[in-house]
Amino acid sequence: MRERSTASSKPHDEQHSLLQHDGESAVSKLLSPDAEWDRDQLGDVLHWLRQALGLLCGIVWGLIPLVGSVWLLVFMLVSTLLVYTYYAFLLKVDQDEFGGHGALLQEGMFASVTLFLLAWILVYSLVHF
Amino acid sequence: MDPGYGDSLLILAIAFASACICEGISWLLIYRSSSYKALRYTIDRTSKKLETMKSGGGGAKKSSRTKKMDRFESSLKESSRDLSFFKFKSGAVVALVLLVVFGLLSSLFEGKPVAKLPFAPSPFIQKMTHRGLPGDDPTDCSMVFFYFLCSVSIRSNLQKLLGFAPPRGAAANAGMMFAAPDPKAR
Repeated sequence: MRERSTASSKPHDEQHSLLQHDGESAVSKLLSPDAEWDRDQLGDVLHWLRQALGLLCGIVWGLIPLVGSVWLLVFMLVSTLLVYTYYAFLLKVDQDEFGGHGALLQEGMFASVTLFLLAWILVYSLVHF
Repeated sequence: MDPGYGDSLLILAIAFASACICEGISWLLIYRSSSYKALRYTIDRTSKKLETMKSGGGGAKKSSRTKKMDRFESSLKESSRDLSFFKFKSGAVVALVLLVVFGLLSSLFEGKPVAKLPFAPSPFIQKMTHRGLPGDDPTDCSMVFFYFLCSVSIRSNLQKLLGFAPPRGAAANAGMMFAAPDPKAR
């Protein structure tokens, strides 16, 4: 009985440490230049990075507030530069293996621009009027 | 005097709810069917093989590799066309739901600005941002434009989150539904 009880507690501990390990390895993969990526994984990461930047910039632009069409262009420039820096310098992926810079930079771009505009307009309208 | 723009939150909530309903309908009619899953799997597999060959993978001779690539591309185009047609048939129901929601919002917010734009859009864009609004203030935002932004940003991210976004190989061949069959296809 004792053996069974210790044996039954072991899988739970192993599962917990496995989950912890998977979580840590997922985070470390996002920051590791040695990680291996396939097209879909990298595309998804860049998509969500763009959405996060769009949401964050929209909220910040709306709170300050930054007013004028030029700030839309600034956002597009900033988010493109950050995405490029991320995959070229942090992840150090070979862009030729993933369809080139164009394919990587346009991942999630349209959705992030609309999300940015939505956040910017919403925060600006609610906070300042 | 503007009484505030709290209605924009209502539009956002309605857009979110309608996006969830539309994805639910799409799942019922499209995504859970075995034909759709098989098509998606074929497209994923074919586009991965194609990418591998394009990056110089495999030890085959150049001429046979080119022939194989042509065959894979034709297969990808056909599968993408089939996928578009498959979704088109069931998309009519989703379009009906969106039409009803849009009609409801139009009647609720007709002639009323729902938000303030932090920029003055170009005259071409104003056709949408200022649609149905009185006055000449270019920074008044109509329900149409705001709902458009909500729909696109929420729906595309929801599809991505739920795994319903079209496969990248199909996205590259989007609009192939009405294209003529490729003569290189077997």
